[in-house]
Amino acid sequence: MVEDEESEEAAEQDPTSSQIEIIFFKSDTCAFCPRAEEVLFETIGDFDSGMFKVNEINVSENPEAAEEYGVFALPTIMIGGVAVTGIPEPEALLKMILGSRMSQSRGAD
Amino acid sequence: MNEFTIERIKTGIPGLDDLIEGGFPKGDTILVAGKAGTGKSILATQFIYKGATVYDEPGVLVTLEEPPSAIKRNMMRFGMDLKKLEEENMLSLVDLSPARPQPKNLYEYPSFDLSGLEAIIHSHIDRINAKRVVIDTLSILAYKFKSRDILREEFFKICASITKKDTTLLLTSEIPARDTGLGVFDIEAFLASGVIVLYNEKISDTSRSRSIEVLKLRGSKHSSRIHSMRITDEGIRVWPGEISPGS
Repeated sequence: MVEDEESEEAAEQDPTSSQIEIIFFKSDTCAFCPRAEEVLFETIGDFDSGMFKVNEINVSENPEAAEEYGVFALPTIMIGGVAVTGIPEPEALLKMILGSRMSQSRGAD
Repeated sequence: MNEFTIERIKTGIPGLDDLIEGGFPKGDTILVAGKAGTGKSILATQFIYKGATVYDEPGVLVTLEEPPSAIKRNMMRFGMDLKKLEEENMLSLVDLSPARPQPKNLYEYPSFDLSGLEAIIHSHIDRINAKRVVIDTLSILAYKFKSRDILREEFFKICASITKKDTTLLLTSEIPARDTGLGVFDIEAFLASGVIVLYNEKISDTSRSRSIEVLKLRGSKHSSRIHSMRITDEGIRVWPGEISPGS
């Protein structure tokens, strides 16, 4: 019991441990990226701001990252290892967030 | 050389340059089409290898199909040491093969471009100052993305952007079995100013015959015959004086 309490305490102290990581790939020339970015932030804006860690990658400045992740098409949004290409419907993002949250919970069990 | 002369780059593939007035027009897009097993990847890699080793032209090989380790191993059979070229900065092998871990694409909306792919290729061109680029094979993208109309438009943009600075681009395209076109998109031939088709036709119950045809090449008086081609210990060799028995 004592151990459990300690680990719960540690998780509370480290707010990043339960955050969902979102990677948003964009480029300087991508015409659809600004709108996709708006949809992303509008969608996650309904949640607690500490729930997400958003990492924006501009592949015009950092093509190595696009190569590393194998991302050819932009905009691409990655949430928990799955991706959406193009301007997403908010519902699609919500499903991805939920899926990521569920796999996090399964991992914690 | 005057302003109307087309500058050419030699492919270095024995016999092929004789069919195309000495080489590919510099800065053009060339398509090499053929069914599976016709030698497209060997020809494309040989074009890069010869460019680097004989003509001092660094090359970028973008592989969307085979992993680099398999390409290096296969090309060593023909005496082409790609690892050494990489070490000498004469070759950049861009691994975009399915063997790499890639995110699973759950959703695709028809509002994207391929500026990610374009940025990746350009970073390699700039790094080694490449004069030759191969994308092997274009057809894979047809299976990766559903929005064919966008892909078609994006291919035009990528080809134009790569060749803008006189880099010569060679694309390979797989012709599906029992298909009469030049690839899965039906527009591959329009992308390129030159089209080369490779064949490996059955000519009897016990044998097949390899051959090559230059279907079109901008500004060139190219051969209009189908010529014999073989895959030798040194890679592809074309016999310009020999007409394929299957033609």
